[in-house]
Amino acid sequence: MACPSPIPLALPALLTALLPALPTALPIALTTAFAVGAARAQLPPPVADAEFARRKLHWAWQPLQRAAPPAAAAGTNPIDAFVDARLAAAGLSRSPPAPAAAQLRRLWFDLVGLPPPLQAVARFTADPSDAAWQREVDALLASPHYAERQARHWLDLVRYAETLGHEYDFDVPNAWRYRDYVIRAFRDDVPYDQFVKEHIAGDLLREPRRDADGNDESVQATGAWWFVEQTHSPVDAMQHQADRIDNQVDVLGKAVLGLTVACARCHDHKFDAIRASDYYALVGFVQSSRYLQAPIHPVDVGGDAYAAAWRAQHELAHAWADGARGEAWPPFAVRTDAQWAADDECALRDGEQCIASASGPREQWFVTNDGFGAQPYRGAFCPDPDAKHPQLFVLPGAWWNSAAAGPEREGVLSTPTFAIAQRFVHVRCAGQGSRVQVVVDGLHLVREPIYGDLHKPVDDATAHWLTFDLGAWTGHGAFVQCIDQRAQDLADQEHERSLYPARAWLAVQSVLLSPHEAPPATPECIALPPPGWTDGTELPARVRDALATLRKATAALPVSPTVPALADGNGHDEHIYLRGDHRRPGALAPRRSLTALAGDAAFATGPGSGREALAEALLAPDNPLPARVFVNRVWHHLFGRGIVRSVDNLGALGDRPTHPELLDWLAADFVAHGWSRKHVIRLVVTSATYRQDSRRRDDAATVDAANLLLHRQNVRRLDAEAVRDSLLAISGRLDEKLFGPSIELPHDAHIDARGIPKQDGALDGDGRRSIYLAVRRNFMPPMLLAFDLPTPFATIGARNVSNVPAQALALANDPFVHAMCARWAQQLLAAPATSPRERLALAYRRAFARDPDDREVAQCSEFLAARSPGAEMGDGAWPDLLHTLVNTTEFLYLR
Amino acid sequence: MTCVHDGQPTRRAFLQRAWNGFAMLPLAHLALRTGGGGALARHHAARARSVIFLYMDGGPSCQDLFDHKPRLVAENGKPFGMKMEPTQFNNNGNTLGPCATFRQRGESGQWISDLLPNLATGADRLCVVRSMTSDFSEHTNANYFLHTGHGLQGRPSVGAWIGYGLGCDADDLPAFVVLNGGLIPPGGIDCFHSGFLPAHSQGSVFQMRGDAVANIAPREAPERQRSMLDLARALDAGTQERFGADPAIDAAIQNHELAFRMQSAVPELVAIENEAPRLRALYGCDDEYEPTRTFARQCLLARRLVERGVRFVELTCPDTKHDRWDQHSKLAAGLRDNCRAVDRPVAALLADLDARGLLDETIVLFGGEFGRTPFAQGNSGRDHNPFGFTMWMAGGGFRAGTSHGATDEYGYKAVADPVSIHDLHATILWQLGIDHEKFTYRFGGRDLRLTDVYGKVQRPLLA
Repeated sequence: MACPSPIPLALPALLTALLPALPTALPIALTTAFAVGAARAQLPPPVADAEFARRKLHWAWQPLQRAAPPAAAAGTNPIDAFVDARLAAAGLSRSPPAPAAAQLRRLWFDLVGLPPPLQAVARFTADPSDAAWQREVDALLASPHYAERQARHWLDLVRYAETLGHEYDFDVPNAWRYRDYVIRAFRDDVPYDQFVKEHIAGDLLREPRRDADGNDESVQATGAWWFVEQTHSPVDAMQHQADRIDNQVDVLGKAVLGLTVACARCHDHKFDAIRASDYYALVGFVQSSRYLQAPIHPVDVGGDAYAAAWRAQHELAHAWADGARGEAWPPFAVRTDAQWAADDECALRDGEQCIASASGPREQWFVTNDGFGAQPYRGAFCPDPDAKHPQLFVLPGAWWNSAAAGPEREGVLSTPTFAIAQRFVHVRCAGQGSRVQVVVDGLHLVREPIYGDLHKPVDDATAHWLTFDLGAWTGHGAFVQCIDQRAQDLADQEHERSLYPARAWLAVQSVLLSPHEAPPATPECIALPPPGWTDGTELPARVRDALATLRKATAALPVSPTVPALADGNGHDEHIYLRGDHRRPGALAPRRSLTALAGDAAFATGPGSGREALAEALLAPDNPLPARVFVNRVWHHLFGRGIVRSVDNLGALGDRPTHPELLDWLAADFVAHGWSRKHVIRLVVTSATYRQDSRRRDDAATVDAANLLLHRQNVRRLDAEAVRDSLLAISGRLDEKLFGPSIELPHDAHIDARGIPKQDGALDGDGRRSIYLAVRRNFMPPMLLAFDLPTPFATIGARNVSNVPAQALALANDPFVHAMCARWAQQLLAAPATSPRERLALAYRRAFARDPDDREVAQCSEFLAARSPGAEMGDGAWPDLLHTLVNTTEFLYLR
Repeated sequence: MTCVHDGQPTRRAFLQRAWNGFAMLPLAHLALRTGGGGALARHHAARARSVIFLYMDGGPSCQDLFDHKPRLVAENGKPFGMKMEPTQFNNNGNTLGPCATFRQRGESGQWISDLLPNLATGADRLCVVRSMTSDFSEHTNANYFLHTGHGLQGRPSVGAWIGYGLGCDADDLPAFVVLNGGLIPPGGIDCFHSGFLPAHSQGSVFQMRGDAVANIAPREAPERQRSMLDLARALDAGTQERFGADPAIDAAIQNHELAFRMQSAVPELVAIENEAPRLRALYGCDDEYEPTRTFARQCLLARRLVERGVRFVELTCPDTKHDRWDQHSKLAAGLRDNCRAVDRPVAALLADLDARGLLDETIVLFGGEFGRTPFAQGNSGRDHNPFGFTMWMAGGGFRAGTSHGATDEYGYKAVADPVSIHDLHATILWQLGIDHEKFTYRFGGRDLRLTDVYGKVQRPLLA
């Protein structure tokens, strides 16, 4: 009787020679064009080189000029030197500092998005010195609330959303982890260049940034690419892909470079030095990348703990086979080593092509997470040693097998992208609770009605073929994804989650592209437990021990959370679409950076997307844009208007900088200080320019009516989150908890729309800060929307600041506002106070960071007396009084 | 409406500025009464003042309602005689004949089926475009396209563009009002959003159940609320002295006052009980079918809104439990109930507007985001069809009692005088006095238009 030993971990690949060469750089030309819509308008011809050169003279393309700040008294903040010089030239001078209350309130809202608490007010009122200001600034920069506030600004740039919008507003699994990543990055003051690099290629860094627990931070940044709206069943998947990538490139261009690169989709940019080939060069990077739920802390599949699990599987197999020997269990009884090898063979029929095979070259597979190990597995395995009746399976030949290291291992196994040259795809697999899907034209959202058949469950533990009919997509690009990972689908719905149990597994042997509808004949698979052991018969001791060892080995492997992320596919270049029409591919546009920044030489890309090279190129020292764009955004948030007002467009149609030398000096200083965001913010808020009064001045009414020269601070309205967070803070309801899954608010019972969340939340959102509220594209919180929270669709560096009745109605009548004012009154009445005046002072300090003056005391007292006649402290009228304070403009505006 | 863009005051708000915002209130109030307040001076004399968009969400089946095709009757159940384009479900069956009889109506002889008997009596008021096309086969993209001229989320709705451009003639109501019958279309309230335009131009959604407007109901008696507002304004005056006056602050104060006025204006608006019983009956307010009652209320409110000077009113559909006009199956039953819900109210709206002399200055637009296939989906439904469908307009200077354009013999694709969504937008803007090519807003480095780089005013539709 032949023993199965040795059961090798893996055999050398035997069939390499039989496999056709892998397709690379695929020509993905659509052949099934169908005409929808009217003829497109004629658009201009390419921009001539001379004109392009002229456009490159535009200020934003020029290198950073670090001019020395104008001469000023020793100790002057360089910002003030620059601003004062401009003011002096116009015959103006800076305004005096704002009143202490206004300064403190301004600083707190700008840095942490909350009103200053009583202690801070007392502290700064007692000592309003420069040193005290410095201490206040440093304390706020060190506060985690600083990170929450600044992170929200960044989320506007990447149109952060937790759903996909469109018809059903599907959830993006684990999107909130990206939000937490951004908060941590601000908290830890991760250098901005590193932060941007992580957004472009965080999944590819050789040395990813890790937190104290060893979690990969870098990969989490790439989730930002997936906050793009998605259609669940587009009739023209290629059009959908083109539109999706347009948005992704648009966000990269605006957020990082301050350029409208996506305007070059249909033709060379109309005004800027950006060619259509630049746009499609960037499209190539996106086309070469894929959506993945990436683990942030996968088990090292080359490490000892992982190997121990595989060894335990083999020991169990030996033990089991030995124990079964007497009963002539067929797999072990009859199989020879030669037969094992022969199992790898799969004769290709006419016109059939092997896309990927477990016994083929490793490069045929994109293997992610720790489920499938470092290499294919051979031999017997027990998918679930914790089952009541553990079973042993044998799959003939080499298989990628996510059960080998235990049922809780997860992973995704994908093929390279191939052109659909034949109608059918056959996938040989086995498994339980898993699935295989075909991603056509990058459409990860594989859904009914059109795409439902491209997604097939795997719930058969014996080896079998799944067959996909791709007849409708002949000529399109596609890849196959084999998934044993609960969160992987781009869209997530509660009822679907239950389909994918934790203890699922999947084994995959090969993927064929075939003209034949029937799969090829393959050896019969063996997947039987030894007879007599499933009915409760006592297991032999050696088997019991081996099972225990396996349980221990698999339980020792922790399961990693996953995040939406980018992953490399096989790299390929995109064609220029004539007039942006995906049905009219033109010349290839090799992947590279923008011509105007780095010339038009293609990158020497490896097999992958080449995004690391793109990140390096965009962050090269001679590209002035990332630093300029970032410091300008800081300025925008601290003054209500950027040095360049059009913060997302520094191009020809954008605004000119009001202080070009200052902008460049700040950008250069930012880079010189290690791209430290806290450094720039500290520098600005400690300037006298920032701290000045906002009062309008007659002497500047004609010279600087729009305050472009910054002869004063600007009056600014609180943004949506600050309005809500203020109410939570002053009422004592604020829960300062950081991070975590998003919080739902109540949903309008009168809105009947698809995708409306089934679960309602509490009126006060559990007291959590607004950044933690769920961002559902189709169900944005109405009160925050009224205060201009943007619907996430594109980069929004400068929010609208509107003035609509919905705002006043919310502050007057919204039940949340009433509840917070009532709570505030309770707190205030519970605090010891000897007089209404003292109580009113507490309220004023909390809301406005100052004491009321005599007239205000008189006005409020009169109100209390009229509302609550006879009550010495006017107790019953306090909720109304506080509600009135909330409805004053002092509550809503920073002075 | 007050219009304050990006925190910058409008010219009018600027002129109203004084050191003490509180003292300015009476004047501010008077100024608001003059109405208007749009960002745009009309490019030419306007033919219409307001728009009522009866949005038939889901894609009504024109082959059963307006587009009379004898060949569909003759070939019912036979293999379809043209090449079929890919569809949303790709479950295409045989040719499917109409589920109702068509007749020529009125003096104009326009074809309308028996499913819309009341509307048919007003056929001579309609300008029927039988050759509409869209660029999208999916609801959400087609909805965004119909509403914003762009197939993806984020652009301003046509109502927002018009409200932004022309403002509102009422001082206590927003320029763009959506009367929500119960079904927010796929794509959500972004179909009514202001996109990159200032937020004050976004559609205000009025509900038919509960409070019409979020937070419109004061929680205090008016005089108590007034006294709170008075205190707030008095404190604001002190703050203005303390920190200095600012136009943005003045505008915010005015905004509180507008909201205060809306609190009484909106309940007064929605009190349709004050309409004559006979008129309410004409609209179908007493109909035994609940969706008819809901849509009757919406239509009546639409009239009351344009009467008060609201610029753009959009009605979404009531729920007939047939998934809107999206009849992928059970076509006959779905059409029957949807038509029952809208037929009487729409007919009454046209007659009522006409009787009051409002129809001349009000564009009424009826239609969905696309049409449906002349061949069956499965055996009892029709799939989405953006290649040719019907919409109609009435009033507002559109040519009454005419048909324009045509689809092929099956009602599948527009073959004569096709009209795109961009063309439709351009034509509506034209009637309001706006040249669509000159009406731009700079965003993200481009001067953007409702019609992108497309659109042509459809002169043959105009009287």
